[in-house]
Parts: sequence; structure tokens; C-alpha cells
Amino acid sequence: MNGPRTGGALRRVREHPTPLPPAARARRYLPFATGGLQSLLQYRSTFVTTGITAAAGAAITVFLWRAVYADAPPGGGPGGFTSESITTYLLVAQVLQILHANRVDDEVAAEVYRGDVAVMLVRPVSYPVMRFFACLPVVAANAVLVGVPVLVLFALLVPLTTPRPVDVVLFAVSTALSVLLAFLVNLLTGMTGFVTTNTWGVRMVKQSVVAFFAGQLVPLALMPGPLSALASALPFRGMVDGPLTLLLGRYDGVAGAVDVLARQIGWAAGLTLLAGVLWRASLSRLEVLGG
Amino acid sequence: MTGTVWRHVRLAFFLGGVGLHRLSVYRVDFLLGAGAFLVRVGLQTAVVGLVFRQVPAVDGWTYHEVLFLLGFSLLPRGLDHLFTDQLWELGRKLVQRGEFYRCLIRPVNPLFSLLSERFFHPDGLGELAVGAVLVGWSGSELGLRLTPVQWLAAPFLVLCGALIHTSVKLLFASLSFWTVTSLPSMYAASQVSEFAAYPLDIYHPSLRAVLTWVLPFAFTSYVPCGYLLTGATGRVIWLPLVTAAAVAVALAVWRRGINAYEMTGS
Repeated sequence: MNGPRTGGALRRVREHPTPLPPAARARRYLPFATGGLQSLLQYRSTFVTTGITAAAGAAITVFLWRAVYADAPPGGGPGGFTSESITTYLLVAQVLQILHANRVDDEVAAEVYRGDVAVMLVRPVSYPVMRFFACLPVVAANAVLVGVPVLVLFALLVPLTTPRPVDVVLFAVSTALSVLLAFLVNLLTGMTGFVTTNTWGVRMVKQSVVAFFAGQLVPLALMPGPLSALASALPFRGMVDGPLTLLLGRYDGVAGAVDVLARQIGWAAGLTLLAGVLWRASLSRLEVLGG
Repeated sequence: MTGTVWRHVRLAFFLGGVGLHRLSVYRVDFLLGAGAFLVRVGLQTAVVGLVFRQVPAVDGWTYHEVLFLLGFSLLPRGLDHLFTDQLWELGRKLVQRGEFYRCLIRPVNPLFSLLSERFFHPDGLGELAVGAVLVGWSGSELGLRLTPVQWLAAPFLVLCGALIHTSVKLLFASLSFWTVTSLPSMYAASQVSEFAAYPLDIYHPSLRAVLTWVLPFAFTSYVPCGYLLTGATGRVIWLPLVTAAAVAVALAVWRRGINAYEMTGS
């Protein structure tokens, strides 16, 4: 394997001589997924602290809004929420946020900053796709080891709504799409490492903006008109508010449900395209020092 | 004895100057960090605003009272950030990479030596500024008139709150002497401290007990604000005692930690 820094080597890698069938191509990425899982399980105590952090985050929003809905009429208070449904909304929103904490932004930014990305580029795989497979076990492990315990803990403390089975199915589909959206948003955030070395500030802004406009802290239905319109127009809505609209049955018939899913798919396609274009553009200006 | 204290004070001033100098060198980093912080607090204020669009008061707290509490909670936090953020490095990597020994071989107190590596963290300046603006604005909206005693007490309340934040951070950072890295637990403790930005009355009683007796973040903002807003002294008189206890526990763990510290080889 010779110098990863020469443009020629990169180009040779990208123009793979024989195109592989999709199944074989996917299989090539499986080792990254199992490798990610193994390194994750080395630091098992992290799950406990992630759980405490998530439970604390959920408790702030849940208790703040429960105080608002304490005297709400049983038919539903502001935005058509009841005390139970707003609690369910905010709690599941926090669990979704755990699924979205895939650390892709940290890792991409760090690898670009340190120049490790060059080593990745000489491998006969696509770096963004490799990152996607590597983050899947993180998402799955967080869901099982952090998401479920947090949900159970709160179910014991506060009353929640029981969703209809059909809504649960729609929610599951929508959640899968939200995980994809979160990956793309984090990939794009990590790629700011190509233009700035202080990705810490960028990541903090991303975290606050996404949490707010996704509806994690305030449901979109409770925002004033213009703000809610802005939030609906952004891709982040599909990460929290979209799936929860489906889970709580807050949509108008089949058309309403299709609308939520179609927006998610549209944004996923759009962001994939954007990430692809920017990735190519960034590689052409990437310079890595050392040897 | 007084000679040692005097030397540490002079060193603190000198190293603080070095820290300020660093800000002017990494200007973009400073602006990005401060800007990110403004966005975060701005959105946090927006959430409080949206809550109070629905109801006039939450558990007896009005909009401006909650903003006062939110702003006040940033003051001790900012003061703590300004001087002790190097503790994050201890929890993150100083023990893990065997670099901590450098704090033990300098001719000053090891804790001072560690903290002085990075005085004047820019986040702290942002927090202090935003907190002061929020407190000032919501205080004038409330028509708050502090008595002379309250004016005198206010800086002391902020200082005690900052010491509580520092103690919790020092305690969890010191765990790294045994566990090699304690970053996740420090992160969890800092997330728990976010509870202090809202009135304790809204939380589950068990959570309120934890925030009062286990990790006493209630004393960093909720208790002092109760005193400043209503003049009730029932709880705030415990603040010096709680602060002293927190500092004592954290320092004890820190000392045991240094004694247990074994440097990695090579």
C-alpha cells in the first residue's frame, strides 16, 4: 500500500475495476459493523452514564411540561395534548435522541483533523458508507441498553399513553428513517472538519439547533405559527416530531401518515445527495501532513 | 504560611494573564465557542418562553422569575468554568496517558498547579455575561428591589454556588485516579447540574431530594434565588455549611486520589 496522499492512489481506489453486485458490496461493510460493536463493548460502563445523562435530560423537559399540563382538561390542553400524551411525547423524544447519538460527527471530525481519514481512503470502500455501517451497532446497543431502561424507569414513575398497534408499526418505520437522517446530519456536521479545526463549537450549535427544531424540547404543535412553519420546513422535524406524530396518532388518515413518511424519505434522499457532492468536493481539497 | 499564599496569588494573576493572552491568539476559536454558547442559551430561553405562552405560572413561578433563576444559575457555573475547566482534562486523559505527574513535581500545590494550566476559559466569560444580562433584565421586569443585605450577600451566594460546582467536578474528576478515565461520569454529573436551571418544585420529590442532599445543585441557584426573590432565609442559611461540606468531601477524595496515583510506565 503506497502513499495515501497522492491523488492517483485515491482515484484508482474509487474507480473499482469490476462493479460488484449490491449483496457482495454490503457484505464487504459487515466487518465494520461487528468491529464497531466489539470496540463499544470494551467500555460497558459508558452505557450506565449515557443512561443517567439521558434520564436527566428527559426529566427536565418531562417535568417542566407536566407542570404546564397539570390542570389541563381531560379532553386535551394546548395543542391537543393531554398530560399523558405530552409526557409520552417528550420521553420518547429523548429515547429517539439516544438512537441519534451515533457519534458519527465526533469521529468524522476527529479523523479529518488528525488526518487518519487518509488511511481510510486507500481502502477499497466508501468512507461515508463505512461510517454508516460502523454506527449501526452503536445505535442498536444504545436502543437496547439505554433506551429501554430509561423508558421503563419513567413508565414506573409517570403515566403514559398506550399507542394503537398500527401507529406503533408506522412509528417503527419512521424511526428507522429518523436514524438515517440523524446519520446524515452528523456526517455533514463532522465534515465541517475539512474547513475548521474548532468543530467543538459547530457540534454544540448543531446539537442545540437540532434538539430545538426537531421538536425534542417543545412539540412543533406548541410553537407559534411562523416558528412552527420554519421547523416544518427543516429536515430535523423528521428526526423527532415526525415519528412521534405517527406514534401518538396525531395525523389525518392515510394521507397524513404518508405525508410524514414522504417528507422523511425526501430529506434522506436530498441529504444523501448533498453529503455525496460535498464529500467529493472536500476530498479534492484535502491535505494531510506527515508520513 | 502567608508567604506561600501570597506566592500562589501572584502566580494566579500571572497565569490568568497568560490565559487571557491565549484568547487573543485563538480568536476564531473563542468566537465559535462563545457563539455556540449564545445559541444554546438563546434556545433555552426560547423554550421557557414557549412554556409560558401556554400558562401564566408554573408551580407558582412566573415567566420572569424562571428567567431570573435560569440567568442566576449561569453565574456560579460561569465562575466555575472560568477557573477549573482543566479538571475535565484530568478526567479525560491526564491519568490515562500518565501525564499527571507534571502537576506533582512543580513547587506549588498540585491542585493549584493543575487548575492554573488553563485559567480564563472563554465559555465562562460568555456564561457570566449572558447570566448577568438575564438576571438584570428579568429583575427589572419583576420590579425587584434588593435590600442592602441582599446586595452584599449576592456575590457570596454566587461564590458558594461556584464552589459547589467545582467540588462536584473535582470529586468526579478525582475518580479517574482509580478508574483511569472518568469522563463519562463527569459528563453525567454535569448533565444533572442542568436541573438547577429550573425551579425545583416541578420535579419528582425523589429527584428534589437528590438535588438537595446528594449532588447539592439546588444550593447553586434555586435556594439563593428563593432568598433574593422573596427574602426568605430559612434555607439559604445552610448554604455556607453545604458548600464547606462539599468542598471538604471533594478535597478528601482528591487527596486520597493523589496518594493512590501510580504513573503508567515508560
